[in-house]
Amino acid sequence: MTNETFDVLIIGSGHAGGMAAKVLTESGIRCLMLNAGPVADVARNAQHKPAYELPYRGFKPPGRLEHVFQASEFNANVWVDEQEVPYTFDAANPYNWVRVRLFGGRSLFWSRQSFRLSDYEFKGKSHDGFGEDWPISHADLSPYYSRVEDIFQVSGAMDGPPQMPDGNFILDEDPWSESMQRFMAAGKSFNMPVCKQRRALGRDGLASSVNLLLPDAENTGKLTSIANAVVRELTVDKNTGQPNGCHFVDRLSRREMRVKARVVVLAAGTLESTRLLLNSRVGNSSGLVGRYLMDQIYGSGVTCSVPEARNGKATKELMGGGAIVPRFRNITTKSDAFLRGYALNVTSSIGPVHPRNFATYGAELQQKLEEYHGSSFHMTIMGEVLGRYENHVRINKDKVDAWGIPVLHVETKYTDNEYNMAKDAVEVGSAVAEAAGFEVLSKNIAPNPPGYSIHEVGTCRMGNDPKHSVLNKWCQSHDHKNLFVVDGASFTSAGWQNPTMTILALSMRASEYLAGEMSKQNI
Amino acid sequence: MLRRDFVRAVVSIGFAPRLLLSQQTANPAPPPPAPVPWTLGLNPKTPLPHTEVVDGIAETERRFFTPVQMAVLVRLCDVLLPPIGDKPGALQAETPLFLDFLIGSSPASRKKVYTGGLNWLDSESQKRYKKPFAKLDTMQADAILKPLLRTWMSDHPPTEPHADFINIAHDDIRTATVNSKAWSDVPSGDAQASTEAGLYWSPIEPDIYAGSSDRTRIPARVIAAPKGTHSIPAYPR
Repeated sequence: MTNETFDVLIIGSGHAGGMAAKVLTESGIRCLMLNAGPVADVARNAQHKPAYELPYRGFKPPGRLEHVFQASEFNANVWVDEQEVPYTFDAANPYNWVRVRLFGGRSLFWSRQSFRLSDYEFKGKSHDGFGEDWPISHADLSPYYSRVEDIFQVSGAMDGPPQMPDGNFILDEDPWSESMQRFMAAGKSFNMPVCKQRRALGRDGLASSVNLLLPDAENTGKLTSIANAVVRELTVDKNTGQPNGCHFVDRLSRREMRVKARVVVLAAGTLESTRLLLNSRVGNSSGLVGRYLMDQIYGSGVTCSVPEARNGKATKELMGGGAIVPRFRNITTKSDAFLRGYALNVTSSIGPVHPRNFATYGAELQQKLEEYHGSSFHMTIMGEVLGRYENHVRINKDKVDAWGIPVLHVETKYTDNEYNMAKDAVEVGSAVAEAAGFEVLSKNIAPNPPGYSIHEVGTCRMGNDPKHSVLNKWCQSHDHKNLFVVDGASFTSAGWQNPTMTILALSMRASEYLAGEMSKQNI
Repeated sequence: MLRRDFVRAVVSIGFAPRLLLSQQTANPAPPPPAPVPWTLGLNPKTPLPHTEVVDGIAETERRFFTPVQMAVLVRLCDVLLPPIGDKPGALQAETPLFLDFLIGSSPASRKKVYTGGLNWLDSESQKRYKKPFAKLDTMQADAILKPLLRTWMSDHPPTEPHADFINIAHDDIRTATVNSKAWSDVPSGDAQASTEAGLYWSPIEPDIYAGSSDRTRIPARVIAAPKGTHSIPAYPR
């Protein structure tokens, strides 16, 4: 019989789990990491192919991954299968839950956009009266953001307004293209700042837990990792009532196993960590585990053409480059239509304009494609979704996954706040584009379904009051001092910003706190 | 088995790996006596058979659309994406039969968009021109189709009746054609779409027991026949 008790059990290997593993093992703590899926090896598991060699010519395999809009035939096998790990929702309010269970999780495939939250997010309630403030501020997290930005080699410019704090960047000094400069000038009358994009460059083309965090943890000799371990539930010490490990089942063989640890760190991703807490009936004295599910609205946007770049006249001086328009609504002025705000991802491209932008076909369409080639300028929204108690997840006891584990039922919907925000983004985007002399080709006001952004956060929100929050400011359970949740579940508000940098910074801060507490034998 | 036969067999098995490795040298030794351990054989030097994609060699069999729907789809494909310059059109790329396969494999909601749309096109053609859509000339087809075209962005096709089908089908017809071998065989100019290509991920350690979400048991293993009833055939040595 195995009597080994690890110091810390880390469930999940993505950005949050990888950072916890790195920090804790570098502090001398013995960690066991469990990941639900296998290791992906691009040399063994992937091959460059043209679409005509695939069964469906590149179309998403019919009936699979219906809620993963990002899936194609090329990448269909990297996402979690919806039949294997289902979830339920009311058909009237669909939810797109996009998951990766490969070792490294979604950190293998993220978009690399890297922004800090500002105090307009951390102290949102103090600013506009809605929701709750975080128990921390930008100043508390800033040192961790800087260290994360260094690890992930974030490039950007020191051009951020207060709502998009600057960071520890590899400076992007590329000149703006002329089309971008025209857009910036036209945006001034809307008080719209236009800034350089901020992206994690990582190393060797990847900015992931598997190449930036886990190798450091493995080098300490203190990390033991197990793949294909589907955690069923946390176990609890009968005498102390504290979590002391977990039951898991081998994904392939179905062998039932258990492990013991002094501390449990959940890093399985917002909704999987929450599902585990709910199935384990642990850490929920507040009744808020599962509540305040948030993400960001995506999908609304505007596609334009720069007339001067048409008919073969596009140049690298005129076209090219990307920009971020950080939230500019409800900063110094107040909108009547919605609270908080949205950002716009702006792209000027010397490539093709998509055929969907022309209401024609055949030879006439081909003529348009030739005329407009090289003139594409488009923008898409990233908007903050307000945290509402009624937007939540709970366990559906009537349905289980392929290993018999009860699934999540997701009950969430966008409200007028989000829809009005999307409408404003498209109206303002179109107006600025036209003021810059661009032709608007197509627009979309309707956001994609909740979850599409793959930025789900909340459901174990942090706060100072145990009655109104699940975790304290260290991502530590109010109920169990040896239980931490270090992924996006801890967010008190969503912000418009991609959550990755914040997840990494919070995980680093929580893990260093945990390491300190363990060294003092407080845990 | 006689003792000398047993010894000979043991010696042969002991030498088998060395003998097989010697196949890779310039003067390979003769193959070992049968039976060769079956797991030895395929190795990194084994030549890979060359195969072709099936398109252009074998014809897809219609399985889903009715003959009338198929005829409408063929005409629609030819109108929306005819051959242009050197590039093949949707018909040359065998797009209609490919879509019959794709849509026929799809969930009910997608099937309904297509069957409803194709049926409507044919009935509209009968109403206006007293003939099937498959027999319309280009001007007549344009008169029905062009008013239904819209500009739209990813994941948000038009939702108004009939415009939904026409715009979705146009997008699908283009994708199926551009991603065909026939399209790829002709080089694309700057403003012509190129066949999509990229990193294709195979299933990674697939869970072969995954099926319905309620399945939690491992299927029963096949049980070997009981010893007493199994007779060992004799091979002449």
